[in-house]
Amino acid sequence: MWNWITTRFAELHAWTFETLVQPALYRFGFMNWDEQAFEATELFLIGLIEVLLLWAIFRPVEALAPVEKWDDRSEAHVDIYYALLSKLGLIPLFFFLLLTPAFDWLNGNLRMAGIIPPNLEDMVPALQSSAVLSAVTYLLILDFFDYWRHRFQHRFKTWWQLHALHHSQRQMTFWTDDREHLIDQAISAAWRAALGLLIGVPPVQFLTVTLISGAIESFSHANVRVKFGSVGKYILVSPHFHRVHHAMAFGYDGPAKGCNFAQVFAFWDVLFGTATFAEEFPATGIPDQQTGRDYGRGYWSQQWLGVRRLIGADGK
Amino acid sequence: MFRSKCFVLALVAAASAEAHIAFVLNSGDETVSVIDTASQKVTKTFRVGKEPHHLMATPDDAYLIVANALSNDLVFLDRQTGEVKRRLPNISDPYQIGFSPDRKYFVSASLRLHRTDIYSGSDFKLLKRLQTPKAPSHVMFDQKSTMAFVSLQDSNELAAIDLKTQEMAWKIPIGKQPAGVWMTPDDKHLLIGILGENYVEVIDWRARKKVKRIVTGEGAHNFIPAGDGRHVFLSNRASNKISKIDQQSLTVVDEFPAPGGPDCMDVTADGKQLWVTSRWIRKVTVIDLATKKIVKQIPVGRSPHGIYLYAHAPRR
Repeated sequence: MWNWITTRFAELHAWTFETLVQPALYRFGFMNWDEQAFEATELFLIGLIEVLLLWAIFRPVEALAPVEKWDDRSEAHVDIYYALLSKLGLIPLFFFLLLTPAFDWLNGNLRMAGIIPPNLEDMVPALQSSAVLSAVTYLLILDFFDYWRHRFQHRFKTWWQLHALHHSQRQMTFWTDDREHLIDQAISAAWRAALGLLIGVPPVQFLTVTLISGAIESFSHANVRVKFGSVGKYILVSPHFHRVHHAMAFGYDGPAKGCNFAQVFAFWDVLFGTATFAEEFPATGIPDQQTGRDYGRGYWSQQWLGVRRLIGADGK
Repeated sequence: MFRSKCFVLALVAAASAEAHIAFVLNSGDETVSVIDTASQKVTKTFRVGKEPHHLMATPDDAYLIVANALSNDLVFLDRQTGEVKRRLPNISDPYQIGFSPDRKYFVSASLRLHRTDIYSGSDFKLLKRLQTPKAPSHVMFDQKSTMAFVSLQDSNELAAIDLKTQEMAWKIPIGKQPAGVWMTPDDKHLLIGILGENYVEVIDWRARKKVKRIVTGEGAHNFIPAGDGRHVFLSNRASNKISKIDQQSLTVVDEFPAPGGPDCMDVTADGKQLWVTSRWIRKVTVIDLATKKIVKQIPVGRSPHGIYLYAHAPRR
C-alpha cells in the first residue's frame, strides 16, 4: 500500500515538475535552479496533501468535541492564509532564497580557513546506517532547539512583540500553528539554518521531521477537548497541554509565568521545569486584548502592527 | 586436472558475477541502489551518506568512490559487492570529482560553496582550495594533466586551473549554465553541455576560443563516451533525449529517447545498451542502442544521479 502511494506521488511530482515547472525554468533562464526547484515542487505537493489531510481529519474532530463554540468564526479564518503560505512552501522558499547565500558564504569561508563544520554522523556513525534512528534523532534534536527558541520568544521582550501575534488568536484552531510574524519566521528559519550548519541536518530528515512535527503542532492548536492520558501527556504535546500555554494570562505571560513551551515532545517542559498540567481547557488570547489593544484582523494589518510593536510605535 | 577445472569454473563464475552489477546514487535518499544488470532488478539498497551525487572508480580500479556532498566525505565501495570498505572524512562538499590522467591529482568541485579543491591523488592530502565562483559543477582534464577544466554553472563561464601552479589560469564566458565538460580524444576540443540552452559549446581550449555550437536538445547536460574512441553521448535534461555526437565531425549523428530528466549515463561493456539515471521519475532507464527502444525502466530512489556499471565500455 505504502509503495503504491509513494509510486503515485512520484509520478505526480515528476509530471508537475516536467509539465509546469521545468519549462518555465528553461524559458526564463533559471535551469541552474532545476534541482532545487524539483525539491520545492515536492515540498509544495506534500504541503498540499498535508493541508487536505489536516482539514479532512482535524476539522471534523473540532466539530465533534470543541472546547469553544463560536457563532462567528471570522477571527479564525485569517489563520488559514498563514497555514497555506507556510505549508505550501511559499514562506519557506522565500527564506531559503534569502538566507542560503549568506549561510553558504559563511560556510564557504569557514572552509577557506580550514574548518569543515561537523556532521552528527561523524560523531554517531550508527545514524548513517539506520534511516529510522536518524529521523528520530533529528526529530529530538530539532524539537529540543525549538523548545529553547520558543522559550526565548517569550523571554525576550523584543522577540515577544513579534510572537504576540501568534498568541493573539482567541479562536484557536488547527490552522493557528503557522500564524507567525514574517520577521519571527525569518528568525526561526535562521535558527534552523544555523543548526543545520552546526550539525549538518540532512535534507531528507529535515523534510521528514518537518512533516511529523508540523502535523503534531497543528493538532496541538486544534479546538478540541483532547488530552493524552496519564502517561502520554508527559511524552507528546496534546491540544490540552498546548492550550494551557496559550491560556490568557498564565500560559505565557513573561518568563516567571510561562509554561508548556514544547512543540512536539512534552518532556522538554518536564525536564526543564516549565510543565503545567492544569485540568481545565482555558480561554486563549493576550490580556491586553481585553482592554482594547489591537493585534489586527487581516494578514497585513497583523504584520504591520507587529512591526509597530517591535519599534515601540503603537504607544503601549 | 579436476582442481584446475574447478579453478577455471570459479574464475568464470566470479567474472560473470562481477559483470552483472550497476550502482546508482539516489541523491535525494542518501542511498545507493545496487542493480543486477542481467535480471535488471535492484538487489539491495543501502545508506551511504548525505547527497551522494557522483561516483567513479579509483584509477587502479580497486574501489568505487562515492562523493557525499553534504557529508563532506568520500566512501570507498567494493566494486563487486558494494560493501563499504572505507570512509574518508574532511573532503569538503565533494559534488563532482575526478582524477587527473597522470593520477597525481584528485579534483573536487564544490558546487554549493563555490570552491574547487585539489588533493594529492595518492593520499588525498589537500593541496589547494581555490575560490571558483560561481557554482563549479563538472570537471575535466587534458591528457597531459596540465589543466583541470571546471564549468561554472552560475556565472556562465569555463575555468581552467593550472595543476602545476594550482592557480586559476584563465576563465572564459560561455553559454547559460554550463554543465558537463568533455575532452575530445585528440585533446584539442572541449565539449561543454549548456544546460540553460539547447547546445554543446565546442572550445579550442589552447586558443581559448569557441569554435562551434552543436545543437542537441534543451537542457544539454552531461557526457559519457561510447567506448569506440569516436562518439560520445550527451543527456539533454529538459528535452528528454540523448544525443550521440561524432567527436571528429563535431555533429550529432543519432538520438535516443530518455524520459524523466536524463542525467548521468554509462554504456555496457558490449556497447549495446545505455543506462541512464532519470532524475525526475526515480528510475534508471535502459536503452537498446540498436533499436533505440527503452527496454526497461528500473525503479530506484529519489533523484537518482550518478551511475556506474561494473562491466562498462572503455572510457574513450
